[in-house]
Amino acid sequence: MPAEPSPPPPPPAAPAPVSPLLRPVFPSSERVVGALQTALAALAVPVLAVVTALLVGGAIIALAGRDPLLAYAALWEGCCASPRALSETLVWATPYIFTGLAVALAFHGGLFNIGAEGQLALGALVAAWLGYALPGLAGPLPAAVHLPLVLLGGTLAGAAWGAIPGWLKARTGAHEVINTIMLNYVALLAVSYLLNGPLRDPSPLNVIARTPEIALSARLPRLAPDLRLHAGLLLALLAAAAVWWGLYRTPLGFAIRAVGANPAAARTAGMPVGGLVVAALALSGALAGLAGAVEVAGLNYRHELGFSLGYGFDAIAIALLARVHPLGVVPAALLLGALRNGAARMQFLASVPVDLVVVLEGLILLFVAAEVLVRRLYRLPPAGAPLVFTRGWR
Amino acid sequence: MQTRGVGRTTGSGVGHGRSGAARAARGRRSGAARAARGRRIAPFVLALALVSLLVLAACGGARGTAQGGPGFRVGLVTDVGKIDDRSFNQSVWEGVQQAQREVPGITETKYIETTDPKDYEKNIQQFTDAGYDVVVTVGFALAEATYQAAKRSPAIRFIGVEQVLAKDDQHPDWPLPNLVGITFEDDKAGFLAGALAGLVTRSGTVGAVLATDAVPPVYRFGEGFRAGVRHANPAAQLVVAYHNDVGLDRTFSDPEWGKTTAYSQIDRGADIVFGAGGKTGNGALIGAVERGKWAIGVDADQYYTVPEAQKGLLSSAMKLLTPATVHLVRAAKEGSFPPGLFTGDVALAPFHDLDGQVSADVKGRLAEIQRGLTDGAIKTGVPAVKPAS
Repeated sequence: MPAEPSPPPPPPAAPAPVSPLLRPVFPSSERVVGALQTALAALAVPVLAVVTALLVGGAIIALAGRDPLLAYAALWEGCCASPRALSETLVWATPYIFTGLAVALAFHGGLFNIGAEGQLALGALVAAWLGYALPGLAGPLPAAVHLPLVLLGGTLAGAAWGAIPGWLKARTGAHEVINTIMLNYVALLAVSYLLNGPLRDPSPLNVIARTPEIALSARLPRLAPDLRLHAGLLLALLAAAAVWWGLYRTPLGFAIRAVGANPAAARTAGMPVGGLVVAALALSGALAGLAGAVEVAGLNYRHELGFSLGYGFDAIAIALLARVHPLGVVPAALLLGALRNGAARMQFLASVPVDLVVVLEGLILLFVAAEVLVRRLYRLPPAGAPLVFTRGWR
Repeated sequence: MQTRGVGRTTGSGVGHGRSGAARAARGRRSGAARAARGRRIAPFVLALALVSLLVLAACGGARGTAQGGPGFRVGLVTDVGKIDDRSFNQSVWEGVQQAQREVPGITETKYIETTDPKDYEKNIQQFTDAGYDVVVTVGFALAEATYQAAKRSPAIRFIGVEQVLAKDDQHPDWPLPNLVGITFEDDKAGFLAGALAGLVTRSGTVGAVLATDAVPPVYRFGEGFRAGVRHANPAAQLVVAYHNDVGLDRTFSDPEWGKTTAYSQIDRGADIVFGAGGKTGNGALIGAVERGKWAIGVDADQYYTVPEAQKGLLSSAMKLLTPATVHLVRAAKEGSFPPGLFTGDVALAPFHDLDGQVSADVKGRLAEIQRGLTDGAIKTGVPAVKPAS
């Protein structure tokens, strides 16, 4: 583990809070090799889990009487073989990065956020509302004001929705797993009501529960002509870097991780454990809400029922595949986005049902979770300390 | 053609795999001492070889299938849902398959199941990119994507099932010469079902369990049913429930709600339950039959599509989706494609096991009503969409 900043008081935003004497300006070659070894060792299990899942998935395709090579060839073609395919993969991966970060961040605080789905839906709805209604209420706005407001609104909605289970846990000990799941229903049904009722697109031919289109000033720019790839991807990558920096380089991140590692010790050390639980879940919800806002501002230009269903749940798979490392979330989200995106091509060329992608996702998750199995299969050395994702009732 | 492409690249794939794996193995030996034992490296070699084989085979597949084949090809894109949904997707797909059997010259039919609404466009593109001759898209939600695809690919004929568009700001070019929307007079189908229910009820109470009335076909089924009951049996009690409390993603796929709502209508005296709206409606049929009551289905002959409800399934208010699909695919093949809107036929399905329970008198009245609906003597009085409240 890299050098830690000392616990609560050090000055914020200091890149090297440890004494400069202890920290060489240029890392020695041993440190570089050591870091590379750590990285390789951390990558081994996820990579092998994916490979194993693809092999088992191939066997399943063969058992179903289809050609696994053709299926994977089509999957590859559909996800990555053309600029348009790549663009669509990145479009799929963008919300996955945000929600994957949301779940990973909560895990660092010892919290299992299953509520990203609801937080995302609320974020998307608030962003869509700000996107189409704000110009009517406040007059035309320049994009430099409108777009940030839309994204901020979605983020805050997600954060508020995430803070509720955090507060319940801090105040009453009610387990966040149950409360985040339950709040999903509340959020999704509330969104459904609003989309069917007050916020429904009133245009005469519309029969779908959706908002009107957001104003042009609320839209994220597209990154290439004729492709749907939008600037949300850059925000997602920025968010990954920010979460990494926040978790490993700031006092708040350290405190959240301390609570995640051992809440009793954190309390003994004088940390406000309750407040940190609320903060972790609120930040997690903020990322999920931002995912929804970016989907609205970058891709769909409105919120519609049925869009983005399942992002919050796939996020759990992504966070686990990334072994909850914020930077690992990016490749994990890309992988899942590629699978989801390539599935249509796989159906078309190889007649393999889309459900195979869900099977693959399940297998990957299984092999990542059953780390011991993968290690024995490939004769890797046993793991060090196991990752603790969440804990029981306190 | 395809097999040759894959076979050719498979050979080179293995070669690349070996050299890549060997490089990796060397790197590991010199870098990390832990991996020194060959026993640990063997599975890596295997895995890497397999991965590179897959990747290279992928490139081969891409080459092998890029060019379009000869003949007449028909593709279908489902709404979010499965091809075997025992409802819309399935009936239309059966129409496509029947067309392939009956119309000479159709060489290939294929479908893609949609899992997320943002994929509509991409899934349609699979067929347009491959140069298919006809693309059938199923369901209201695909209307926009189908319209845009039809504009982009004027040489390809598009059949949009249950897709009604009109000339407006967003669709200035409607109707397109290569796009036809299949619509049904659902209110008439519902009216027939309502008349049947009104005529055969013994308790004098009939129920209807429906998906959301925000979707016009569901609204027309429900209100048509209401009008049919009133027409045939003005004294009958009516219990109508729309599943408006959830979103589009759920309103058609909530069999539990359908079942429990059917139960509660039966508790309120209904002895016949009309169920309409995908799996939600099917749940209502099953619930009614479980309680020993009769059920009337919708869309297809649900005697075959919901076997669990067979012994109590009186009939179904059928939209004849399959023959309409066959007709339009045939028209596309034979060069008589009718752009704009196409109105498919509706009818009551056979009574099957309960045929003996329906008197000749009732059958006579139903035939009379059907004639009246066809020649316009009977009007259902149901608007096309739910009036804005």
